[in-house]
Amino acid sequence: MPKVNINGTEIEVEKGTTILKAAAQAGFEVPHFCYHPALSIPANCRMCLVEVEGARSLEPACYSEVTDGMVVETKSERVIKAQKSVLEFILLNHPVDCPICDQAGECKLQDYYMAYDAQESRLRAEKNQKVKVFPIGPEVLYDGERCILCTRCIRFCEEITGTNELTIVQRGDSAEIRTFPGKELDNPYSVCTADICPVGALTSRDFRFKCRVWLLQSTDSVCTGCSNGCNIHLEHFRNEIQRYRPRYNPQVNDYWMCDAGRLSYKEVHTDRLLRPMSNGAALNWHGVTETASAKLARALDDDAGSFGFVVSPQASCEDLFLAKRFIEEVLGTDQLYLGGKPDGFEDDFLIKADKNPNRQGVKAVFGGLNDFGDVDKLIDDIESGAIKTLYMMETHLPADAETRQRFVDALDKLDLFVLQAQHCAELANQAHLALPACSHAETEGTFVNFDGLAQPFEQAFAPHGDSLPHWQIFMRLARAMGQPLTYTFVHQIRDEMFQASDADENGEPAEAQAE
Amino acid sequence: MAEVLITLVKIIVIVFVFVLGVAGSMTLLGDRKQSARIQNRVGPNQAKFFGFSLLGFPHFIADGIKLVLKENIVPAQANKFLHTIAPALVFIPALIGWSVIPFMDHYCTGTVMTLPEHGYTEVCVDGEWKNYFSIMHMNSGVLFAFAIAAISVYGAAIAGWASNSKFSLLGGLRSSAQMISYEVAMGLSLAGALLIYGTLNINEMVRMQGNLLGDWLPMWGIVIQPLAFFLFLLAGLAETKRAPFDLPEGESEIVAGYLTEYTSMKFAMMQLAEYAATVFIAALVAVVFLGGWQMPWVYADGIRIFGNHWTPFGEEVWYYISIVLRIGAITFKILFLVWLQFMMRWTLPRFRYDQVMTLGWKILLPLSIANLFITAVIVTILA
Amino acid sequence: MGEVKTKPVERAEQGLWEKSYIPEILRGLSVTAGHFFRNISPRKSQRRIFTKNYPEEPTVYPERYRGLHRLMLRDDGQVRCVACMCCSTICPADCIHIEAGEHDDPSIEKYPAVFVIDELRCIVCGLCVEACPCDAIRMDSGRHIPPYTERNEAFFDRDLLMELGGLSQAKQGGDRTPAAAE
Repeated sequence: MPKVNINGTEIEVEKGTTILKAAAQAGFEVPHFCYHPALSIPANCRMCLVEVEGARSLEPACYSEVTDGMVVETKSERVIKAQKSVLEFILLNHPVDCPICDQAGECKLQDYYMAYDAQESRLRAEKNQKVKVFPIGPEVLYDGERCILCTRCIRFCEEITGTNELTIVQRGDSAEIRTFPGKELDNPYSVCTADICPVGALTSRDFRFKCRVWLLQSTDSVCTGCSNGCNIHLEHFRNEIQRYRPRYNPQVNDYWMCDAGRLSYKEVHTDRLLRPMSNGAALNWHGVTETASAKLARALDDDAGSFGFVVSPQASCEDLFLAKRFIEEVLGTDQLYLGGKPDGFEDDFLIKADKNPNRQGVKAVFGGLNDFGDVDKLIDDIESGAIKTLYMMETHLPADAETRQRFVDALDKLDLFVLQAQHCAELANQAHLALPACSHAETEGTFVNFDGLAQPFEQAFAPHGDSLPHWQIFMRLARAMGQPLTYTFVHQIRDEMFQASDADENGEPAEAQAE
Repeated sequence: MAEVLITLVKIIVIVFVFVLGVAGSMTLLGDRKQSARIQNRVGPNQAKFFGFSLLGFPHFIADGIKLVLKENIVPAQANKFLHTIAPALVFIPALIGWSVIPFMDHYCTGTVMTLPEHGYTEVCVDGEWKNYFSIMHMNSGVLFAFAIAAISVYGAAIAGWASNSKFSLLGGLRSSAQMISYEVAMGLSLAGALLIYGTLNINEMVRMQGNLLGDWLPMWGIVIQPLAFFLFLLAGLAETKRAPFDLPEGESEIVAGYLTEYTSMKFAMMQLAEYAATVFIAALVAVVFLGGWQMPWVYADGIRIFGNHWTPFGEEVWYYISIVLRIGAITFKILFLVWLQFMMRWTLPRFRYDQVMTLGWKILLPLSIANLFITAVIVTILA
Repeated sequence: MGEVKTKPVERAEQGLWEKSYIPEILRGLSVTAGHFFRNISPRKSQRRIFTKNYPEEPTVYPERYRGLHRLMLRDDGQVRCVACMCCSTICPADCIHIEAGEHDDPSIEKYPAVFVIDELRCIVCGLCVEACPCDAIRMDSGRHIPPYTERNEAFFDRDLLMELGGLSQAKQGGDRTPAAAE
């Protein structure tokens, strides 16, 4: 265990630790552009130069490993001069177009300029000009003038995705990032390059000009795009999600997430069911709760055996737990079906075929998936008249377009169709009662990912329109039907749920850590 | 019959033309234009007759029309009868008092002679005094004026009580307490002057002030009773309930005091009575302390100073000139005192209620008693 | 618990002169009477009346008057604003609404597709002008916010604000050589 003295602070670190990490442990920030903890270390930006006693020249802190008895200065005069010089060099041809740059506000160059440089440019000649809005990929734009050539993006494509699209072309001040001929930056993780880009050279097309980053509020959440459950910063402004950004979790997604997941936030804001509806007419919750409870009670009285319930693996564990209690205690039916999105693209990194964030949660809450009927059985049961009343959570069904159309057509045969969903889809108009539920951004809860890891997500903003979390809707209906389920907070449900089932309790997810 | 007609003419001229004219236009010039000029503003000038703002006079007309046309609101649960007569009880005493204010000495049908050796007393030779310039010749005129003025306390108290509003009641109580307190100081400060004059007849009092001390200094009340003058002016200011003694009203505490529940013409009458009272106090101060209709060195039979005597334009003509000059003098004095009271209003910040009471009972009252005592001693010694 | 900080102030002693009030009242009267007589003086130049008869006599605003916003123009007449949102971020009244758009010219890149100022909410603090990095928004139009009869008349959009605009001396974007655009 080498002992090292950093800025007068004595610290003992693991063998093989770099100076940069040791300094971080000692509480000193060493500025860096090209170094990224998940990527290899090229030490090409020279921003992290530090003074090591006895060494002839300044050493890159990101690359040099500590040795026993090493004495490091990160704030000496030489280091400060080097930092100023490096920043002046990087900024030499930088366009300083921060007002139009999407990175402004989370730009390392901005931060370091303010912290370590803060001097005027001495360049009197015209700046070198490059292509500004270069479409380097379907999701990413490249601005050569802003690029500081740290090669993080190139290393990402080499080491993480292994797709090797990017390289540096030209030399000196003409050097730029380009794709290899015939390629474009179109791997399924391409927007991660915009994330790791320390400046505004690579920017996301989706987020382009949408919102300034300093206006965003960030909430810790979980991506609902697939069952991998990537940890995200859900960043929103004025009750609208502006973007997802991956949140570091070494157990699940490390620093990364896929492009499809990144864009899955759009579902929260499209085709939302915002008002409780009865046969297509908007009602308020008070009225619709009365109507729904009366209709459900009559349906149960008539023929409790013909009552079907579609459970959605899109809902959180807490919602499912209340669904279970509602089904068992209030409805008393055992004809359960499983909804959710159909399987899709899969790879060996983060993207999973199961596009539902909480299938494992259904398994854990309901004690396995054996009791659930599939889509074909559901349609058959409706068509044969075995199901007269259907209560459906969410609008998704694991079926292709043809099967789905069969399902939609079959709905006419139902006596009562209650839909409790975020989205209208084409079902809300057909539903006798449509109850608006809110998305994962508008409530809190827990998803269990494919690996059985329970991950909580937090509420980002208030529910849109009149929508309510699933669990509150179940509580309303249960109370109106005379069998109240009494909870006040989600954590009460969570505690009870974890007591009832131990299958999904693999421990809380690791705390997100900044890179 | 002729007597009655003359009295009617006098009433109309004095009460309706002079008093209401001055009081009414004061609302305009005093409260609006004068205050505006003091505060470097121009005051109201947007209401216009044919494009002329006429010193803001159209505003006065517009206000009158507005007040007449407004709805007369009597609060529910209010005592309707008292609520209705209260404005009259405030307004009428403010006018009745004018009946004893002389605007000029009695008219002499014969020749007037001034006797410098008898304190510049004017006597009517070969004729008799005719009362043409005050509504009523009364031997106890001062007493009458005070007795009538005191009635307006009832008006305010009744208005406060009858409105069935706590603000009004408090305002009425404050007003009556304040008026009663200051009436004491007012009466006692006047008593000193009465000791010297030895009469309650106002016209007699004014005549006595025609005396010249050392043949040049007019022996006005302010000269022989300077302290009483200040006490009386101050107490009179408080009697009119205007700033800085406008405690019966207070936006922040009791809204508009006993005026809170009044609207329309009833409100206008209350307001007008306040101005009429201001003019009446000015008239009282003028006749008791500022020589009333006396003009220095101007007498009915000529100009006299340092024992010299000359009569311009001949005796007959000069008598009429002196009448005009003397009416002008008292009018000027009244208007000056009114102006002064308004200046006080825009100069001084308002008192706190306890300060008002302290000033009345602990300062003005002892001072006026001391003044009365010293005057009595001096009068006794000199007599 | 923080102590209440007190600062003892010595009261000015009142002599008999002040306590008798009369001379002080006369002093006060002389001040107000001075104003009164000066302001009714026939010579208007002597008067010190501050009142401006506003609609009849138009007011001349001071040179540094902050009034209606205007959006400055580029040399070619396009809006100078690049929709950086600095003004709407700093606006304490939250009255500036900007939606950025992609400009056809890649050297301009970003421009405000929607730029609306709710002059009804504006508190005329001038922070937007301070915040603007491009000298694009100014409040020196020399006009006050005009009266309106309907609420949406107080929403000034980009084109309306550009009508008051002028050219700025500040250089924007630098000179781009056409060759650099490949």
